[in-house]
Amino acid sequence: MANPADTRLAEWFRRWHSPLRQFLAGRGRAWPADLDDVAQEVFLRLLRYEKVELVEHPQAYLFKMASNVVAEWAIRSRQRLEHEPHWLNDLVADETPESEFESAAAQGEVRRAIDTLSGRQRAVVRLHFEEGLSYGEIAQRLGVSLRIVRRDFERSYSKLRREIHLERTGARHHGRE
Amino acid sequence: MDANSRRKMVTDEAARYWALLGTRPPDEVLEQEREQFTRWLRESPLHVAEMLHIARVHYALARFRGWSDVAVDPTEEASVVAMHPCSTEIPVRASGGRTDAMPVRGGPKTKWLAIAASLVAVLVGAVSLAPQISGQVIETERGERREVVLSDGSILDVDPQTRLRVKFEEHARRLYLEHGRALFHVAKNVERPFLVKVNDTTVRAVGTAFGIERRDASVIVTVSEGKVAVLTDPTAHGTLSSTSASGSGTINRISERYQRREMVQPRGQGEADGAIFLTAGQQVTVQKSGTAEPVRAVNPNRVLAWSEGRLVFDAVPLGEVVNEFNRYNRQQFQIEDAELALRPVSGVFQANDPETLIAFIRAGAPVVVRHADGEKILIVPRPPVAE
Repeated sequence: MANPADTRLAEWFRRWHSPLRQFLAGRGRAWPADLDDVAQEVFLRLLRYEKVELVEHPQAYLFKMASNVVAEWAIRSRQRLEHEPHWLNDLVADETPESEFESAAAQGEVRRAIDTLSGRQRAVVRLHFEEGLSYGEIAQRLGVSLRIVRRDFERSYSKLRREIHLERTGARHHGRE
Repeated sequence: MDANSRRKMVTDEAARYWALLGTRPPDEVLEQEREQFTRWLRESPLHVAEMLHIARVHYALARFRGWSDVAVDPTEEASVVAMHPCSTEIPVRASGGRTDAMPVRGGPKTKWLAIAASLVAVLVGAVSLAPQISGQVIETERGERREVVLSDGSILDVDPQTRLRVKFEEHARRLYLEHGRALFHVAKNVERPFLVKVNDTTVRAVGTAFGIERRDASVIVTVSEGKVAVLTDPTAHGTLSSTSASGSGTINRISERYQRREMVQPRGQGEADGAIFLTAGQQVTVQKSGTAEPVRAVNPNRVLAWSEGRLVFDAVPLGEVVNEFNRYNRQQFQIEDAELALRPVSGVFQANDPETLIAFIRAGAPVVVRHADGEKILIVPRPPVAE
């Protein structure tokens, strides 16, 4: 184990609460339609807040609200299944979310998507995630400006958002391949 | 513009906001940029959705393990035509990279703790930012959990029925835990040590994540990440006796049931001047007298699950489980039967959702659940059906 980006990010993602992590890994029955539903609910909640409150930490409110929505819906859907004994196992399984994205199929899909990026875009994301370098450090390493690195990230993420299709791999079904 | 182009444009915007706001420490992000992002988010659920999609990409990349096989020839072009130029430029303040030298150990953690602070710190209820000079009180009621960001980027997860005072000074960040418990994610700053005082015990943090609980007369410190020094009252210290943990309260007993009991030699921890050093996965209980029990090895994820609103029980009597739940909820459970109260419970529960506990109890025992007096939930064994 001990991938440096892993351990640093582990703290960050841990803070997102496992419901949101599992959800983002595509464990729902009707992903990505589910994500649009979550977004709709989060959007409504954002509108209920005073803007001045949100501006303090907008990303934080966004992800916290999304996490809450996902958790609430998961609990409600479990209640509908309350006569099924296995839902308790799901509760315990919440403690080990590291199984998302871990299947060979999911890893392969992510790899395929990464390969659609340009060479420098791949370099930029690899330096960030494998070596844990900041944007500034990456700029220094590659001998380009920070602005270029930032733009490479923007374009990579945008591209990958459209390229990664985990739902096609079946990887979301609890790690089955 | 058709729906696909519209969505694509929004995706690009979301990716820009991610790069702009998701990767810089909070003090480098301008209010203007946050304001712009907030306005953008509140324009449409599509914006929210794309932001979540982008977060998903980031998570996928974070979990990706095959980097060593990824070709990184900088001259190689993308396999598909590059995207449209940005139509709305977000002003970017040139930051020129970080110039302060990062210490070898803990350096990256600093940055990520700061990033964690910028990304996930949220205030539920009142805004609580500790001002630099005067003290500030954070107090939660029954059923109220709160996450607080401090002005240095540290994050506190505060449990219900907890009272904390925060007093940041120029050369130290001081907090006082009067009662209850909280998890502290400390933004690293060697110039300004983070000190939490409970009774006569002070916990000194060096850029880390740890939980402190004050229950009755004892103090329990659990470290999730990094290292802390626990300084007990010097006059009472000197004896790491093997006193049992009885009388330390419900949570301690729950912790004991599933933690591994490994007696760690205090000298090996680097004990000096009455300080006990704890690293990740370690816990110590300090009695009011100042005597500390031997350091225990624990699984921090389980023992600190309360900080994320999850309660973990391993063969704990239902009566105790219900007491725990009652701290997190307005609705109060009451078990009307002594035998029922003794039944062992194992599982992980969302603290603020009593329905999960009710469903669980129902699955395991014939009970009748009665709602009484507004917010009381009575649980009684179902009487046997008459012939």
